[in-house]
Amino acid sequence: MPVNFDSEYAVQVDREGTGRNACPTVEVWESEMVSKHVNEELSAYCNGALTTAESQQVAEHLIGCIQCRADFEQIKLGAKLAEQIPQFAAPASLWANIEAQLDTPVDVQPTVQLSGRYGQTHSGRMLRFAAIAAGLMLAIGIGALWLFTRESRPFWEVARLDGAPLVGSSRISDKGQLAVGEWLETDGASRAQIEVGTIGHVEVDPNTRVRLVETKPTEHRLELARGRMSAKIFAPPRLFFVNTPSGIAADLGCAYTLEVDDLGASLLHVTSGWVAMQLRDIESIVPAGASCATRPGIGPGTPYFADASESFKAALTKLDFDEGLTDDQRTAVLNQVIADARHRDTLTLWHLLYRVKGQQRERVFERMALLAPPPKEVTRDGCLQLDEKMLHLWKGYLENSWIGDSGFKKAGGKPVGGEQWAVGSRRKKWSLDGGHLPEVKKQ
Amino acid sequence: MEQRAVMAEPKIDDRVIEGCQRGDREAFRELFEAYKDKVFSIAVYSMSGDQAAASDVSQQIFLKLINSIRHFRGDSAFTTWLYRLVVNACIDEQRKRGRLLQLDDNPIETNHDRCPQERQFARLEVSEQVQTAINELTPKLRMPILLKYGEGLSYEEIAEVLECSMGTVSSRLNRGHQSLAKKLSHLRAQL
Repeated sequence: MPVNFDSEYAVQVDREGTGRNACPTVEVWESEMVSKHVNEELSAYCNGALTTAESQQVAEHLIGCIQCRADFEQIKLGAKLAEQIPQFAAPASLWANIEAQLDTPVDVQPTVQLSGRYGQTHSGRMLRFAAIAAGLMLAIGIGALWLFTRESRPFWEVARLDGAPLVGSSRISDKGQLAVGEWLETDGASRAQIEVGTIGHVEVDPNTRVRLVETKPTEHRLELARGRMSAKIFAPPRLFFVNTPSGIAADLGCAYTLEVDDLGASLLHVTSGWVAMQLRDIESIVPAGASCATRPGIGPGTPYFADASESFKAALTKLDFDEGLTDDQRTAVLNQVIADARHRDTLTLWHLLYRVKGQQRERVFERMALLAPPPKEVTRDGCLQLDEKMLHLWKGYLENSWIGDSGFKKAGGKPVGGEQWAVGSRRKKWSLDGGHLPEVKKQ
Repeated sequence: MEQRAVMAEPKIDDRVIEGCQRGDREAFRELFEAYKDKVFSIAVYSMSGDQAAASDVSQQIFLKLINSIRHFRGDSAFTTWLYRLVVNACIDEQRKRGRLLQLDDNPIETNHDRCPQERQFARLEVSEQVQTAINELTPKLRMPILLKYGEGLSYEEIAEVLECSMGTVSSRLNRGHQSLAKKLSHLRAQL
């Protein structure tokens, strides 16, 4: 939709305190790729009313612009609220009132005399014929209804990469469609690619079963029941989700692989950007180069870098998922994690602060402070009491070492704010973004 | 009055419209049944929740429709033509009542007299709050929201109904969304 900028649209005076001018009035960090703010296009973007090229432009801008992203969150919330709009049933008396005022005589239409015609013959053959015809009509009706229902459901395009993937019970040739509610299944020899609206794509590996749960401008959601998929998403944070039996992967602008085994355990590995792995109130924030396992009934484990030592990873797995550990055994595996932790493994230690208690938390803090001393605003007591602001300030300083050369580094090591992650407790927002940005500069 | 979350899309074909143009009462009835709730819903919001007034307006709209449908030539979609009629009738009614409905002008019925069991449902509470917040929007911002989310019209169709550009529709929806988000940010976790 080429948006026509007429005078009312262009002026956009904040009469109701709802809109705002494009120029930021607070300290804002922006990416170099930011050109013109897109806050005027956000509703159209949210409602899928832009062309693919326009949507792409808006998505690109949103990834780099904190201010427009904050606006987008606002618009998205407004759209979700508007979707709840209640409708009213007209009063039963309305037609009677209208009819009373109608002077027009009733135009009696000749009715189709099917019953009369068949009634006159009373022929068993004719009755059978009528029954068959009625049955056929019913079947055609049901078929048409099914087709209508199916075609009116939102869908994603699917392309066959190898073999013969199935959508529902039908094999797709080179191209197909995956409607909301439908399963895409690959066998040992087949692969497929799903286009996630205009925001990216998902490659589905062999022996995988995936379902399209929801697709709307404010949320795209897949369910991965088993197998392996790779996602490349170019969109603002928290627009694309993948449900697994033991956690939900929330995209924060990234590329990743996600696999689920037959027992429902999953493993996320992020190759670019960030992903949040969550279940109920537990959340792990996973940057590029890191992984996060989940287990049914437990949820996401502590994230770790793939290049950490094997003993570190083995001890962490026990700590996260071995529910039969005695206190002594638990202390021993935590000691192993602490001993093997490198500077970069503060990613794991930072998450562990929320997941251990008492003296164990103290030891984790001490190791972290040794590897990466906290900024002066962050105190030992604050961290041990899980002061959200302090922990996230420290996290902001640590992120550069976590992100490394992945291309999602912040300038100057300064946290640029945003969504704050409270692992083991509810998420809280205290500023504009999670620092999950491309190279940024202060304007 | 009963509230419904989502209404099915009416299925009205050319046969019904032609029947109405010939003055066929049964065709009118079919048309009425298909659109009565949609028309009434828009009228309720336009009358700031005054359902008795909305019923009067709906009656006028259908009578007007019956009298003018013979002029419908199919240049635009029937729904566009109908919604334009509805929007214009609502605006006329607002003018007739000597006011543009504003915040607190005539607060919408918020169903506070519902039985306790009903009030336990969080979804209903959300929808009640959404209803109130939509009602508090100025008519300019409210109508695009109603047409988009209540009636499922595209930006292009809304522009046609409101006889403005798509940019204006986009702009008004933007402001409407922001206003709703601002007023109802406490509902974020319930959505």
